[in-house]
Amino acid sequence: MSLPDGYHGRILEVDLTTGGVQVTALEPALVEDYLGGRGLATRIFYAASDPACDPLGPENVVVLATSPLLGTNAPTSCRGHMVFKSPLTGVIGSSNSGGTWALVFKSTGYDVLVIRGASAEPVMIDITPEAARILPAKHLWGLDVHETTARLLSEAAGNKRGRVLCIGPAGENLVRFAAVMNDKNRAYGRGGPGAVLGAKKLKAIRVRGNLKTTITEPERYQSGLEQARYLIKAVPTTKRLLRDMGTSGLIRLINVIDMLPARNFQDNRHSFEELENAGGEALRDTILVRPGACGVCPLACQRHTQVGPRKGEGPEYETLALLGPNCGVYDLEAVTLANYRCNELGLDTMSCGTTIACAMELFDKGIIPPAAANGLELRFGNHAILEELVERIAFREGLGDILAEGSLRLAKHFNHPELSMTVKGLEIPAYDPRASYTQALGYMTSPTGACHLRGGYAVSLAFFGGAKEIPRFSLLQSPIAIRNMQNLGLIQDSLGICRFTGYAFGTEPWSRMASGVTGRDFSTARLEEIADRIAALERLFNLEAGVTPEDDTLPARFSTEPLVVAGQQRVVSREVITRLRSDYYEARRWDRLGRPTAGLLSKLRINGRQT
Amino acid sequence: MTGSKWKVNESLIRRFQSVGRALLLCDLEDSHSGNIALRWKNPETGRDQLVITSTGSQKGDLAASDICFLPAEGTDYGYYKASSETDIHARILALEGVSASVHAHTKHLTFVTLDEGDKPGRPAPFIPVDPLGHYHLGGLVPVDRFAVPSGSREMTETVPQRLSDHRVTAIQGHGAFAKARTIEEGLFRLCIADNSGYVVQMAERVGVDVATLRAGIQAAPDAHFSYPPDEYTIADDQSCDFPEEEELVREFYKAGARIFESRLSPFHTGSLSVRGIAALLYAPKAAMPREISGPLLRTPLAADSADSPELALHKAIYELSNFQTIAHCHVPEAEALAHFVYPGESRPNDRIVPIDAEGSFFYLVIPVVPPKTEVETLVRLLHDYKVVIVRGGGVWGVGAQSLSEVLHHPSSVREICQYRVAAYERGLDLRALEPEKAGKW
Ligand code: SF4
Repeated sequence: MSLPDGYHGRILEVDLTTGGVQVTALEPALVEDYLGGRGLATRIFYAASDPACDPLGPENVVVLATSPLLGTNAPTSCRGHMVFKSPLTGVIGSSNSGGTWALVFKSTGYDVLVIRGASAEPVMIDITPEAARILPAKHLWGLDVHETTARLLSEAAGNKRGRVLCIGPAGENLVRFAAVMNDKNRAYGRGGPGAVLGAKKLKAIRVRGNLKTTITEPERYQSGLEQARYLIKAVPTTKRLLRDMGTSGLIRLINVIDMLPARNFQDNRHSFEELENAGGEALRDTILVRPGACGVCPLACQRHTQVGPRKGEGPEYETLALLGPNCGVYDLEAVTLANYRCNELGLDTMSCGTTIACAMELFDKGIIPPAAANGLELRFGNHAILEELVERIAFREGLGDILAEGSLRLAKHFNHPELSMTVKGLEIPAYDPRASYTQALGYMTSPTGACHLRGGYAVSLAFFGGAKEIPRFSLLQSPIAIRNMQNLGLIQDSLGICRFTGYAFGTEPWSRMASGVTGRDFSTARLEEIADRIAALERLFNLEAGVTPEDDTLPARFSTEPLVVAGQQRVVSREVITRLRSDYYEARRWDRLGRPTAGLLSKLRINGRQT
Repeated sequence: MTGSKWKVNESLIRRFQSVGRALLLCDLEDSHSGNIALRWKNPETGRDQLVITSTGSQKGDLAASDICFLPAEGTDYGYYKASSETDIHARILALEGVSASVHAHTKHLTFVTLDEGDKPGRPAPFIPVDPLGHYHLGGLVPVDRFAVPSGSREMTETVPQRLSDHRVTAIQGHGAFAKARTIEEGLFRLCIADNSGYVVQMAERVGVDVATLRAGIQAAPDAHFSYPPDEYTIADDQSCDFPEEEELVREFYKAGARIFESRLSPFHTGSLSVRGIAALLYAPKAAMPREISGPLLRTPLAADSADSPELALHKAIYELSNFQTIAHCHVPEAEALAHFVYPGESRPNDRIVPIDAEGSFFYLVIPVVPPKTEVETLVRLLHDYKVVIVRGGGVWGVGAQSLSEVLHHPSSVREICQYRVAAYERGLDLRALEPEKAGKW
């Protein structure tokens, strides 16, 4: 079996302990079974990793993979995928980022980058088609993301376009929710990959390349492309809404469906006046400079903004909601400045927001005494302290050192783990699970902990689903609906394309484009099977890392503290959680302990560690 | 009138109103035409009565006073208010096993049974070419040509006679009569008959050789259709096995009403399902007006030898896929277009290619497969195209998430077919209108 078009067929393996750099061949069987991006990275990570390893130790392996569509003009096909063991959760970390870094990485002639070991001194990796080198990076250590990026680009001479992926001080200081940033403001955000690179003393990866992606059957590819482009233009969300409002436009919509969290998920009520100044409309009318886009993306959801003299990107919906109303803050500028600082210091804004909200609740309830707050008045709504808190977290100063561990360790430190709004240690995104069983189940079963992107972006159907809108409280429908959403996400992540295309269409146009590029039959049925395979492999890793069904759950708050949703008091009761979980296992063909059955593994050609 | 008597009549009146309204929505009634009749045992007196709509009443908007309660035999003052065709209905209702009789202006059936023969006379019976018509109407509908085709004595004698052997009979130029066990079944049969007429009309409009098709069906009917549809049931309408799934119940009723009102499948035909883990939620009468819903059933997802072919196919599709929802509709336009042969070619094509902008981007092509296509092939095509037309077997659509998602497919198919019919009739070259690459998709 030969390697199809769409791949360079080369894996770059870097060992930071030994300083070794080698190139290995990408086996054709791997791409047939795992496609690219998330699938390929998961497969290579699974084979290379020790589930029992210390995520911040040299044994942790980071795999970054691209996809066959990268390098074509398929809309949004710019995304890279990173897999690692998460220092925040102890389970698989699986993070995806847009921008243009992954595109340029692929144009250096590699499909996958594998990083092992740890360096004693700060280093960076410089990759071009001619060479891949580990270089000293002492001079970069301590610089923020923007400074590092600027420095490395200015140092890079030549005619090839250069891009930088790096960590900021948060990653260097091993903040457990530190992000890996690329193109300055794009993030491999969730699960703490920045801390993993920080522990490896890997500050940055600069790429410069110009190699092209070839397409085997241009006509077939074109038919999918035309359909995709048409649908993107036909659907208002992808045609205009994201460009006009960015994702922050969701604030009001999510509030309308009673899902917008307030004060560490204690409530979901917000006044009209509060939200008027804290949503996408206000952002557009006050601080927006221009929309921006990742590579080959016509949707352009990025927000380039300015507050006073400071310029930056964001906030996006999750940041705005979690550093905003979830902290009792309705001050757009304060959230934006905190967002800028998170980007510069290399922090996941979502975990950061919910960890701060947790600290505020602990403070509010008198559990964190004022003395422990180092002079900061941590009360809900105190927007003035946001930026300061972000700094203290990134540099692990005072109480910030405990917040840098994430909300679960923070809440445990103060003996109130129930106040941490996390699943498997990952902070819950800004959609209250009491307002949708489907989304609740997505958080419970996301392989990475509570993540709307890896767990299934079910809630997107609630506001922009159009024909696909599903009932929010159907016990019967939720398990299969969320599995199907997760599978769509697995396919998108493995093709290197953006979730937001899902508003316009599902898998079919991608199937044609992927088949056209590779000349292989990536029918939608086959893509589904690939998704099932990746989901099973992610689960295997997590089981080996110690996950049990009890981890596939929600914080007690969501079962015991009702909220009014659609006019009714709602919780996700323990009974509902139990039923949803066991039905989901069945939908995945896992056993009652959440283990992929032998029959499934054999059908999917997964043979344990020898896979 | 006593309170209890009024109560019984009230529910009966509501049924008449619902059936009348459905007739209007199906375009089988034009403000004042048709009539609905029922033999009914009055619980107060224990006597049979003939309940019938009054002459000239608006069936789409029946008031209580538009419904006449007559003695089953003989006349009273109500007779003169009742339909001018009361005598015909009375005789139909006297047939064994018959409790209801409905007459409506089944226009499409009327269009395709017109001829220039002398009156009175007996033209060739109408032979349906679609599976619903074939199986539900027993393969043919007799047609009569009357000198006075409305309320005449000859009609009073002939129509009940025809119905002693057939479920529906057509009167040239004046719609059709159906015998039934309930007025809902009468409505169902007339809808099926009219739909069959519409399918033939559509097929003729796109140049299908209907005579040859009919000859083939008569020679080997089973080879032309996937399988017989479920027998029409009268017992369990309006029931629901899963009231606790409130939102889903609403979704079923919403989708059902859309299918019916948008004519994606005739009244109480087609099927809808949502898959659970071990259970299947199933609407066996997918096209259901809000007031006359069919049953909503919960059945095990695992195949059962007692399953009807229709239900078995839902289960088989789920068995081989991750789909969450399925809709099966007998879209009449698709039924007809499935037999379309491009000018100069000899066999029906294996795909319908949309020629309108929206259709062609949502669906590059819609596969058309033979009636006995294996479920594996059907599922493979459903994965790739989301909707498949089975020649002689209806339109199958699937969804990953919801009923409204799956509803999109038959409704788009209908529109796509309508554009193609119109283009063909206007003499346009369909091949030229299709995207160049459609042959490869
Ligand atoms: S939609 Fe937004 S996040 Fe997605 S690729 Fe485009 S700009 Fe990037």
